[in-house]
Amino acid sequence: MVDRGRQYLILADEDLISLVEASDSEAFATLYDRHRRAAFSLAYRMMGDRQAAEDLAQDAFLKVWRGAGSYRAERGSVRTWILSIVHNRGIDQLRSHASRRRTQDRIEASAPRSQPSEAFAETWRNSQREQVREALNTLPREQLKILELAYFSGYTHAEISELLSLPLGTVKGRMRLGLKKIRDFYDSRGAAVPR
Amino acid sequence: MNNERFEDLKDAYVLDALAEDERRSFEEFLAAHPERQAEVDDLGAVAGLLAFSPEEQEPPPELRERIMDVVASEAAPRRERQRSIFGGLVGYLGARGLALGAAALLLIGLLSWNLLLQAQVDDLQGRVQNSQGQVEDLQAQVRDAQAQQTQTVQLSGTWTAQGADAEVASISGNRIILVADDLPAIPEGQTCQIWVIKGDVPEPSGLFQPGGTETAAPITTPIKKGDTIAVTVEPAGGSEQPTTDPVLSAEL
Repeated sequence: MVDRGRQYLILADEDLISLVEASDSEAFATLYDRHRRAAFSLAYRMMGDRQAAEDLAQDAFLKVWRGAGSYRAERGSVRTWILSIVHNRGIDQLRSHASRRRTQDRIEASAPRSQPSEAFAETWRNSQREQVREALNTLPREQLKILELAYFSGYTHAEISELLSLPLGTVKGRMRLGLKKIRDFYDSRGAAVPR
Repeated sequence: MNNERFEDLKDAYVLDALAEDERRSFEEFLAAHPERQAEVDDLGAVAGLLAFSPEEQEPPPELRERIMDVVASEAAPRRERQRSIFGGLVGYLGARGLALGAAALLLIGLLSWNLLLQAQVDDLQGRVQNSQGQVEDLQAQVRDAQAQQTQTVQLSGTWTAQGADAEVASISGNRIILVADDLPAIPEGQTCQIWVIKGDVPEPSGLFQPGGTETAAPITTPIKKGDTIAVTVEPAGGSEQPTTDPVLSAEL
């Protein structure tokens, strides 16, 4: 019953990446299955449209396939690396097409929810997501808004200043305070910021 | 850029919220002050958490098919190129070493330079072979795990009566995993928890989410003959003691 495919399920992400670098397509498929939801969720949040999100996710995962050798474990987890690729490609697309989502609420109102996940490690990843959301809930609305406009919509701080009719110094200050508050959330729990 | 400007821009930098010219200046400053990189990395880790916050979305199966079609078309040619690059490099270095050795015999004054080059070539050959070896080791682990599997124990319970199939398998002698097919879905906000029961004492030994066709989960407590493996459904995050009846179990 325990076959070759199952063996990949118990390999750590770092081992799978090494196999992907050696052109192991099964290892890549396992990585895709493990991280597809997180990657697609971020892509959808940024692009606001399912087709555009699919295109972004495909672009990002093919970059993972072709560039597995560029992953560095000392910089963070494989998942963080994959999501950073999604984010960077998303920012490039948003800025080149100058099309941005303006509010989070509109996206979440229309987004279908996912089904329960398959691998047991998803339990931990789901709790990680809940922890991040809990951290973001500690931010005042005006700080969260600025972080979201920067991170998910690709606006520069100068563009945010213009968009919200706020002094640039205020925008930078709210970015600083928002990030500090997230870090304080983890510090208060004696937990390291996940990488 | 000076330190004050760096402090002023670092939060926007990690959020990717700098204009292109600002980003370039910032990175030039970082390159000139590598001692600030750790600080930027730490701040970047905080900003990177935002990636984990969006509402979860399931991509369509067609996306996986499209990606895997591209991967399949690139995988075999890429493996061939990697093999020929390694083989060509080893062969090239071997031929070059001989040529350099022949030149050194003819030109006495270049003898020491040739010996130095030969040592560098040998080192490079070794490193190339080591890299190949590491990848082959990982691939061998996957094969060995299947070959070395010596023990499986079938689990039974209410879930197997509903069509699930589950067993505990020993992989590579000291890694124990639970492997299952066709487990039923469980309500949101709950999780499956594995227990190793020693005597009458259940020890929490792993959490997993069922669903889909295949599930694999490591059992985190060492087991021995006479122990009982059980699975219960618990609140998300697990429980210190089982709060429901087992849905799967087996005595070892």
